[in-house]
Amino acid sequence: MIQYILRRMIYVLPTLWAVVTFVFFIIRLVPGGPAMAVLGSYATAESIRELEKQMGLDKPLIVQYGNFLKDLCRGDLGKSMITKRPVSSEIAKALPYTIDLTIAGMLIGIVLGIPIGIMTALKRNRAPDYIGRILSLVGISMPEFYLGILLMYLLAIKLDLFPVLGGGNMSHLGSRLHHLALPALTLGIIMTSFISRMVRSSMLNVLKEDYVRTAKAKGLKERVVIYKHALRNALIPTVTVIGLYASILMGGSVLTEIIYSRPGLGKMMVFAVKDRDYIALQSVIIVFSAFVFLFNLLTDLLYGLIDPRIEYH
Amino acid sequence: MKVSKHGLFFLVSLISIGIGFSSPALAQEKVVREALKASDIRSLDPHYGTTTIDYACIDPMFNGLVRFKPQDINPEKIEPDLAERWERSKDGLVWTFYLRKGVKFHKGYGEMTSEDVKFSLEKAANKATSGFAGDYAALAKVEALDKYTVRLTFKSVIPSVLGILTNYHGGYIISKKAYEEKGDKFKFDPIGTGPFMLKEYIPKEKLVEARHPDFFRGKPALDRIEFWFMPDASSREMAFRKGEIDLVEGEREQAWVKKMRDIPGTAIEIFGPGETLVLHFNMSKKPLDDVRVRRAICHAINIKELMAFLGPDVTEPLVSVIPMSYLGGTDKVPTYEFSPEKAKKLLTEAGYAKGLDLSMVITEMSDYRRPMEQVQEQLRRVGINLKMDVITHTAFHEQIRKDVNPFVLYVAARFPVADTFLTQFFHSKSIVGTPTAVTNFSHYNKIDDLIDKARGEVDLNKQKELWAEAQKKILEDAAALPLCITRFVFSRKVYVDLGYEMRSTLNLSPPIAWTTDSKKK
Repeated sequence: MIQYILRRMIYVLPTLWAVVTFVFFIIRLVPGGPAMAVLGSYATAESIRELEKQMGLDKPLIVQYGNFLKDLCRGDLGKSMITKRPVSSEIAKALPYTIDLTIAGMLIGIVLGIPIGIMTALKRNRAPDYIGRILSLVGISMPEFYLGILLMYLLAIKLDLFPVLGGGNMSHLGSRLHHLALPALTLGIIMTSFISRMVRSSMLNVLKEDYVRTAKAKGLKERVVIYKHALRNALIPTVTVIGLYASILMGGSVLTEIIYSRPGLGKMMVFAVKDRDYIALQSVIIVFSAFVFLFNLLTDLLYGLIDPRIEYH
Repeated sequence: MKVSKHGLFFLVSLISIGIGFSSPALAQEKVVREALKASDIRSLDPHYGTTTIDYACIDPMFNGLVRFKPQDINPEKIEPDLAERWERSKDGLVWTFYLRKGVKFHKGYGEMTSEDVKFSLEKAANKATSGFAGDYAALAKVEALDKYTVRLTFKSVIPSVLGILTNYHGGYIISKKAYEEKGDKFKFDPIGTGPFMLKEYIPKEKLVEARHPDFFRGKPALDRIEFWFMPDASSREMAFRKGEIDLVEGEREQAWVKKMRDIPGTAIEIFGPGETLVLHFNMSKKPLDDVRVRRAICHAINIKELMAFLGPDVTEPLVSVIPMSYLGGTDKVPTYEFSPEKAKKLLTEAGYAKGLDLSMVITEMSDYRRPMEQVQEQLRRVGINLKMDVITHTAFHEQIRKDVNPFVLYVAARFPVADTFLTQFFHSKSIVGTPTAVTNFSHYNKIDDLIDKARGEVDLNKQKELWAEAQKKILEDAAALPLCITRFVFSRKVYVDLGYEMRSTLNLSPPIAWTTDSKKK
């Protein structure tokens, strides 16, 4: 398995390079630049050019690209063009907020989505199934910024259960969880909708299989049939969906972080795009891409745990 | 269903832990929490701060030699701050400032002296270390005559020497020792003399400033200020409703004002100088190189309707391209009455009897986009079909400097002296596309002599006459059309006492002064 993981890691390098190269050039093609963001809209053309020179933007694009790759190979992500702080330290500060949010959103999705999916499959075409399907459809259809505002209004303002501001004190577990609850619930509800639909559909397929009928015929208890025989097999496509949506969830953190003022990676990315902070944007994209790779790898490894027939070559 | 129960139990436990162990409230502290429409600050080096959030965070930490009163931007009422008094030579070229003694910098950086003033002003005038160097182009030298006396010598007379030495842009005084020690890090760890000093900065989330115990005017009433970076309007509103935010930047829309007024315990602050909305006609290209087409557009726009659309509480009339409240503003200029008939007649005379198709880019920002959509509809009524492409704000600023638009709607607040507006928007040196370009989108070049003459004029009345003449010429030539002023809107919890009556500020948000207090129970 170690060999498999190492091979996957080597395979990911060209993908990362392609993503980074694409972002490097595309962001520079978009009109606007970081110098004006720093100097403000009434800066003279001369002072903008002066600052662009200081930022190294006067050099040919290919030279800038070469320098960027050289620094990247050394593990140096560079300094933000706007704040002048090392991007790696900015990412290190922002990352925990996004990781907290993604993991919590996924946990909520898994913890609620799987049981709901099983229940709606078992009670097919009955009231719990209809209610579950309608709710999951609402969850999928509702934009996260709207759901976020709605939850904020209900749970923070009307019921006064949670704060609406910021990421809380990261060194204080209680404060951290308290501030995480609402944003995580926002993403968690969406994740729950996706997972429950997938589990329901997989379960319905599996429940028709011969081995399930056989298990029932053997006189096994309903619970054993469902959890040992049916669910385990239904989980393979579900894990694929969870892996896929984990990446989407991370991307979804952008809007959630803005709504709840969490200083995470998503907010950092929006700021970088807005101010054309090329260096910061490239670095955030690298981190996001690395996480997508990690989620895909974890998904593949989980297959083996769920289904021992799967081998890694 | 065992898994489900366990899952729910786990979730409830997590939330309960959160609620049970959330940070203890520091009820005894006097704090004001302000939320601004921003994702983050760009710089706390006052010589680079250019956004509303930068201004808001910088102002409580620094002072200038002189200052605007917190609530008033009238340049004729500038008063002493770090300087106790000053003298100027008869020719207006040499100014001597006598500094206040015993003013302390934050965090043990010592007493503010003439060396700090010399260092700060020279830094502000240097292109490599300041975004406002252009304002100090006439400054020849700064001399520290003794520990508490500074002499400034200018190459030529400028309209408002005190203006460039106020608590605004390059006028802020910083600690020389701190800047030399911190270098690039000064940008996010600044040292000034203001009533509050930097305590904590969490990028993309908030900035906290704590009371400066040695502030020279007295002990600040607040213990702390928190500036929250909240780009989303709904989130700001929710946080304000919940009471987690005490002062919030609003949307410049009537609906927002009405909605916030209905929240109990809320005061609405609507203040100036606001931002001018001016259409700058590109006179270098067809068809707007023809004055008849420009005048037709002027007659086609119903400004009253536009102001009603934007909201009566948040707008005020703008007669000339410079607001009346600015030094040198005037209302004695030609105006263009709303008359679709005249507009159509002028278009026919110019050879566009069948109408005209124009296309332009506009920023996504609602401050620009909403009024422009109204203008688009009004122009359509006289046969001018305006196609608008909505692009990002950064891209918009680049595109309009490349002359892609037949006319540019520009929303601006500037230093409240006519010279600033006239130079940046109507002097030939500022024409976009030239090396010295600023924001002359009209390519207008007919009032250079008036601007230059007024700048060197020492008699204020004569200076005002020259500025008025320049404005009259701009409107006669229809180089630009003033639409209106949109005022800044904030909501404040009534327990926050700003310590002054908010009328106008160059900060673009209510300044947190040393007298600002919170009476929250």
